Amino acid sequence: MSGVRPLIAVVMAALLIVGACGGTPGPTADDTPSPAQSGSASSEAGTASSSPSAVPTLPAISPDPNLSAKLVIWGWESAIKTLKEVEPDFSKAYPNITVEYVVQPPADTYRNIQLAVSAGSGAPDISVIEDSHLAQFVGLGALSDITDQVTPYIPFMNAYKWQAAQLDGRAYALPWDSGPVAVYYRRDVFEQAGVDPGTIQTWEDFYQAAKTIKAKTGLPMWQNSKARNNGRLFEKLIWQRGLGYVDPAGAVILDKDPRQVEVLQYIDKFWKEGLALDNEEWTDPWYAAFAEGKVATEVTAAWMGAFLKGWIAPDTAGTWGVFKLPRWQPTDAQASNDGGSQLAIFEQSKQQEAAWAYIQFHLGRPESQLLMYQKQDFFPSLEATYKDPFFAEPDPYFGGDEVRTLFAEVVAEIPSAGMYTTDYQEMNALLAPEIQKFALGQQTAQEALANAAKLIRDQTQRP
Amino acid sequence: MSAPSMRERSVAIRPRRVGSLSRLWRHRWPFVFISPFFVLFAIFFIYPLLFSLWLSVQRTKGLGQAQFVGLGNYELLFRDPIFWGSMANAVILFFIYVPVMTALAVVLASVLNAGFLRLQGMWRALIFLPHITSMVAAGYTFRLLLDRDGGYVNTALSWFGVSPVPWLDDIWWARVSLGLLMIWAWLGYNTVIMLAGLQTIPRELVEAAKVDGAGRRQAFLHITVPLLRPVIVFAVTLSIIGTFAMFAEPFVLTRGGPARATETPVMQIFSTTFEQLKYGYAAAMAFVYFAIVVVITILQFRFVTRGDDG
Repeated sequence: MSGVRPLIAVVMAALLIVGACGGTPGPTADDTPSPAQSGSASSEAGTASSSPSAVPTLPAISPDPNLSAKLVIWGWESAIKTLKEVEPDFSKAYPNITVEYVVQPPADTYRNIQLAVSAGSGAPDISVIEDSHLAQFVGLGALSDITDQVTPYIPFMNAYKWQAAQLDGRAYALPWDSGPVAVYYRRDVFEQAGVDPGTIQTWEDFYQAAKTIKAKTGLPMWQNSKARNNGRLFEKLIWQRGLGYVDPAGAVILDKDPRQVEVLQYIDKFWKEGLALDNEEWTDPWYAAFAEGKVATEVTAAWMGAFLKGWIAPDTAGTWGVFKLPRWQPTDAQASNDGGSQLAIFEQSKQQEAAWAYIQFHLGRPESQLLMYQKQDFFPSLEATYKDPFFAEPDPYFGGDEVRTLFAEVVAEIPSAGMYTTDYQEMNALLAPEIQKFALGQQTAQEALANAAKLIRDQTQRP
Repeated sequence: MSAPSMRERSVAIRPRRVGSLSRLWRHRWPFVFISPFFVLFAIFFIYPLLFSLWLSVQRTKGLGQAQFVGLGNYELLFRDPIFWGSMANAVILFFIYVPVMTALAVVLASVLNAGFLRLQGMWRALIFLPHITSMVAAGYTFRLLLDRDGGYVNTALSWFGVSPVPWLDDIWWARVSLGLLMIWAWLGYNTVIMLAGLQTIPRELVEAAKVDGAGRRQAFLHITVPLLRPVIVFAVTLSIIGTFAMFAEPFVLTRGGPARATETPVMQIFSTTFEQLKYGYAAAMAFVYFAIVVVITILQFRFVTRGDDG
């Protein structure tokens, strides 16, 4: 039980802290990869960079069947399940590489990475890391510099993904899936309310549609928690406008741009007018609202498809549809991003070559990426896959919409925004309570953003 | 060998340096036998303490270069509204649940101590049971009970026409809910302390009061409670420290929300360390937190025990 005596409490705190930073010295970002890591890919990198005028082609993978290793890979359930789809192909190409997957929820994965990295041992060879956390680990110096291996893939991946994977011109991860955002909506609800999603061009249209749907069907437009708001909806909506927590120079801009306030006030209208269902994301009531048709839309990313189809609302197949984000202004992109992940190798790994072979085979090979998209809705960051006929196939879950083509269009338009930086975790943790206070009527939108900005400046020493 | 002769000999050789070393050598076995405690104490207490003191003057993210910042972390900390907010939360929470819990503990203890009660052992065990229940299980159960929409408490209230209470979705209700969980978990613990105290009070005193015409209530308020005061002070002291150190209960029940309203200093230290990786800053927090809890505890002790000698 929680410590009763102060000495115990402090010793506990001290132990926790010390335990977490046993070995401070560690590899830094300046370390260059050893020649042993380069493998086959780096020779291709050499040729690609030596002839910049030539049209780049996706590096061919020539597996070395003699490469032998036992890789440990960390990730969470959906990600590991997806990686395993490639297992038959991979074990054929690399018969001597065995893989041990360690499945933990994302929060545990990250915490254990931090502990392992601080302790100087215990990290896996590879981990799945969300874009939102990647820059933090890159900044820590925990990940291997794989610039040479990754460089040939740069023109073939969604450009915006590299922001999280790179630091000072060096690359530390290979993008896996992207999080193009669109509006998922219930066809039956829209029909019942007489709202044609094709007419929703602006967020004002979306708001009017919400009012109509509420009046005709009694259903709220979206789910958004007040007391346990996590800031994600706000982030998705400002990312669409090319805004984030910081500008390209790293200065905090939450309180500098009136468009941020506009977005927060827009979200508030839905709370005030009963157009939002007050459920926390990833909780039972939140799932139930999808499964039981208690909500009309969800502004979310491509990967949400796998969750809806898989276990949140498999019985609602065919009732869903997807349309692109409405615009704030005519110049806005109809695109935003939420989440997305990459694979990275740890500095501690003694099997750098095999680890890269694994990553390259899973993420740099269009067949693998396509397979994972087909089976588990991990939307590939690898653009070479978009030309595949699979993208043009209608998706029965979404009432026959060509959602994959739609997401491929959206992903090309995602603006760059100062969102997933080295301090994203901390900045999100500082913003969310301010949004909660705002939602509970304790402060105005301006105050919420000004307070969050001030806290972020104080805590992160950003300008 | 008799003790006095040993003392004489050691006195005789004290002035010489070599002598004290040889004395140490002569008594090496006792030192060896008691050394495990000191070795462990040094490894798990003194070293961590010194290390976190060193950390608290660095700006570090665990890996890479630590940057010496002197008292910079402390300076930042003194104008960190989140840290002071968590301190204020602890004070508010203390006033929400400790008075109620302590009073209930005294009443329960005297009922359990009363001669007329049968199956005393069973009742005592029953009351202590929540304290040894896993807090994670209890916390999740409370979440199910207190859930706004489908929770059992709100469902039960609705039978009486009471509109749903935002137990965990409102700044003040969340604090009250956390107080309820704390009372549930710690009442038995406090009752046992009070019970121990009650058993040191001679029954004759209460009997004498009754002979003099005092009712049961009067005897309780004017004899039992004043005599129990040192024990009550002790229990409240533990509660003060426990409130500032509260972690598992809010971590499971509210995760510090909404809007940080139930975030305690130790939760703040934890998230600064393990979510933001600011080890240096968190170490500074731990020291300031420790100093504040010590000061508050001393003040409370002074305040409550003042006049006891008179």
